[in-house]
Amino acid sequence: MAAGRGSNGPQTLTFTACSRAGRGRSFPSQVFQMHHLFQITSRRRFLSTAATLLAAGPAMAAAGQQTPAQPALDPRQVVVKLFGAGVGSLDSYGTGILVSPQGHVLTIANHLVSTGFLTAVTADGRRWPVETLATSTEHDAAIVRIQARPEDMFPFLDLQQAVDVEPGTPVLAWSNMFRVAAGNEPVSVVHGVIAAAVPLEASQGRWKFPVKTPVWILDAITNNSGAGGGLVVDEAGRPVGLIGREIRHDRSRIWVNYAVPLTALRPAVTAMLEGRRVTPSAATADAAPLMSDRDLTARFGLTLLPAVVERTPAWVDAVTPDSPAARAGIQRGDLILLVGDSVITSVTDVRRQMTSAVPGRELSVTVNRDNQLIALKLAVPPSPRK
Amino acid sequence: MRLVFTGAVLLLFKLLQADYASGQQPPATSVGAPVVDARMREQQRVEVLQRIAPSVVCVMASSGEGGGSGVLISSDGLAVSNYHVTSGSGSFMKCGLNNGRVYDAVIVGIDPTGDVALIQLLGRTDFPAAIPGDSDIVQAGDEVLALGNPFLLASDFSPTVTYGIVSGVRRYQYPANTFLEYTDCIQIDASINPGNSGGPLFDIQGRWIGINGRASFEKRGRVNSGAAYAISVNQVLRFLDSLRCGLIVDHGRTEFTVETGENNTAVVSQVSQLSEAWRRGLRPQAELLTFAGRSLTSANDFQNVLGTFPEGDRVPMTWRDSTGRHSATIRLTPLHSFRKAPELPQERRRRPGPDGEPEPQQKSDADQLPEEMRRLYVERDGFCNFHFNQLRQTALLEPLRNQAAAAGDPAAVWTLNLQIPLPAGNTPAELVISQETVGLRLGPSAWLQKISQPEAAEEPPAYPGLLTALGQLRRLLNPDSSVFSEILAAGSTRHLPLNRTLKVLITRDGIRTARWYFDDAGAFPVAVDLSYSAELDEARLVLDGWQARNGLPTPSRIGVIDSTSEEITWLQVEAATVRKP
Repeated sequence: MAAGRGSNGPQTLTFTACSRAGRGRSFPSQVFQMHHLFQITSRRRFLSTAATLLAAGPAMAAAGQQTPAQPALDPRQVVVKLFGAGVGSLDSYGTGILVSPQGHVLTIANHLVSTGFLTAVTADGRRWPVETLATSTEHDAAIVRIQARPEDMFPFLDLQQAVDVEPGTPVLAWSNMFRVAAGNEPVSVVHGVIAAAVPLEASQGRWKFPVKTPVWILDAITNNSGAGGGLVVDEAGRPVGLIGREIRHDRSRIWVNYAVPLTALRPAVTAMLEGRRVTPSAATADAAPLMSDRDLTARFGLTLLPAVVERTPAWVDAVTPDSPAARAGIQRGDLILLVGDSVITSVTDVRRQMTSAVPGRELSVTVNRDNQLIALKLAVPPSPRK
Repeated sequence: MRLVFTGAVLLLFKLLQADYASGQQPPATSVGAPVVDARMREQQRVEVLQRIAPSVVCVMASSGEGGGSGVLISSDGLAVSNYHVTSGSGSFMKCGLNNGRVYDAVIVGIDPTGDVALIQLLGRTDFPAAIPGDSDIVQAGDEVLALGNPFLLASDFSPTVTYGIVSGVRRYQYPANTFLEYTDCIQIDASINPGNSGGPLFDIQGRWIGINGRASFEKRGRVNSGAAYAISVNQVLRFLDSLRCGLIVDHGRTEFTVETGENNTAVVSQVSQLSEAWRRGLRPQAELLTFAGRSLTSANDFQNVLGTFPEGDRVPMTWRDSTGRHSATIRLTPLHSFRKAPELPQERRRRPGPDGEPEPQQKSDADQLPEEMRRLYVERDGFCNFHFNQLRQTALLEPLRNQAAAAGDPAAVWTLNLQIPLPAGNTPAELVISQETVGLRLGPSAWLQKISQPEAAEEPPAYPGLLTALGQLRRLLNPDSSVFSEILAAGSTRHLPLNRTLKVLITRDGIRTARWYFDDAGAFPVAVDLSYSAELDEARLVLDGWQARNGLPTPSRIGVIDSTSEEITWLQVEAATVRKP
């Protein structure tokens, strides 16, 4: 990896003044300094203090006082660790960013969010159940919410503070990578530089990266287990991006280290916070003809709920005796979560997966049955003669 | 394929620069100052690297194959590396320094659980040594430099330097499929690759803060992933003197377990009823507040602190239960008790070079070495290299025996006149120590203990173990060391409650295990902790102010440590006489 710390931008202070006497320069000191402020306050007071400080950020930014001496936030306080259901080769952990004092968390719309069973660990080490509020497939983003009591207040990142930066900007990336910090320890931080802003053509298996606007390419290694949903900040601690998935670039096949600009996510987040569904645009819709419900029943012996609403959950309505589905052990009432490594969010997803299933192969199917994850093997029957 | 993509990025950079040129540049500000600052820091970095690079060692098997890294820590050639680097290299190694020269080296001590090894480079008395910093004050964001020999790139042994920041501190890395356990370690984003193992991590000012040993490798294979882990220098230093004694150093264990409770607490779940902790009153459900001086908020915290201590150390702890807040010290018991250097799973051992060369042979052909080198390695069960234990034993025992011999006839009877502080006031007492018995007469009461077969019932209730401990002292001063079934030097430890770092010599006599503590000032032990029964507390004595009286070396006062209160009661030695048989 290039050691690349570019020359400091115009808004950089002389950091030596900020570091502790006799020590090396901490990078970047003011982002870390906040930490000491928090330590001396009681938890409840600390939370409200943090929230106040964070909320004060945009006002200062708006007034044009963008000096690093007034740090916008301590990333450690707003980045949460997510733990959920990992199936097959997919990780059981990830990262999210608190974006409201009520505990709304921004993360990427990956399998963790889709399969549910999520737990969030906040910076103070507390563990919380989490519910999924909304996802935006077009932005590959999701909003989940910590199920807190009404009086619980969280330090949060105000997305209005998000800034666009130029390539060459030194950044820090905070995440739950490799689940190194499993308990109440702070999340991991790596350093790097924004290498470029480019539209990204990348994929993960059959899944295509949907964001069409340019994303930040980082020269830090952020393409790591569990790092997705983490926070990228600039040297002044201003929020810049949401760390993306573990995906490969389509042409080069290298693992891409990228982050989606938070400024580009703002409208979608606002919509999701308001509870509006962000519908996928036509560009991301799959044009291939899908297997019909009737064919699904005839070939696989699998009858799902009829797709009456846009994203009907993939509940199994019936299983034909002695069919491939029955032999696989699928039962009425199962909720299909994964087919292969692909996350299933609707009956349409199942039909899409079955359409492309190779006859003679075995498909792994993961279902939720009575709140238990059960992995099953489904033999794909031969194609019917046309 | 990779080039294609990099090319696309470069092209974009050019386009963006063109945009700037066309006037859409961000507002121009003074960029002069940061550039000067950056150049100054670059200059400082270069100077620091010139200073620290000579201490970095390239560790190879004696055949010259394979390779890991290490760091010199003393001018006489002691160097620290990873256990998984030296394991498999045999007892003798070759070490390259950045002056291009290769030195012979011999294994000294190992800490298999902590993945640390100490080796001795030979042939110079002016080796350049790294200066340790304080890894406890390292924090996320600090700049760091990792030095070593990744991919065995440097044929002239000048180390490769990678730069990064501290990504997290006090990380715990589970002993995955092995016994190597990284506790309280430093997580960095500097590139760590095969061959970096055992090499030093420095802070940006060139102070040695850790040993790079492990990384999270995943889908990219065994190359840098931006998450590597360094053993903290404070942990290494805590084990260092034990390693110097040629030991297979074990980590400590407590005889109770801890779980994470609600609201960020560490809660005791089980306590062995035979343990010191149980005798101090620790019970399940108690909230463990501090351990070894660090406050705890989870079981992870506890595991992290515990893992940085060697077996045998005495550590303080505090806890809270329904009756209030309590404190005590407990001795850590052995975790693994390895009798031989344990085998590592294949992939943890020294990593093959970039060409995938085969693993070197387990043992080097020691017969081909010159005699003066072969003498530096003595194999013995339970030790890494017994030669270095002998060195320390001699250093501790020779002055002791020389001075004790002045006491004359080993069959003589020693009589010590004591003043014992009783509630009624200071009371005279008489202590009689012969070759076979220790007796105490205090007013109308008297106790007589056999040295060879002591019984707990024969100890004075106010000072349990006192007589047995003094019997062991008599045996230690006896020029004939064959009375002990085992003697070994056990490094140094922080003595509590004296709160001094002292050298330790362990003697075993039947079931009686004594830990003798020595400082550098005198020949005689300044304290002893004697374990003489599994169910009873140790007898812990402080032996203060040694002086010769009538030719007999005696402490001028004997302190008895109360294990419940950790307070010392002083028994004054008024006079001492030697009676010939």
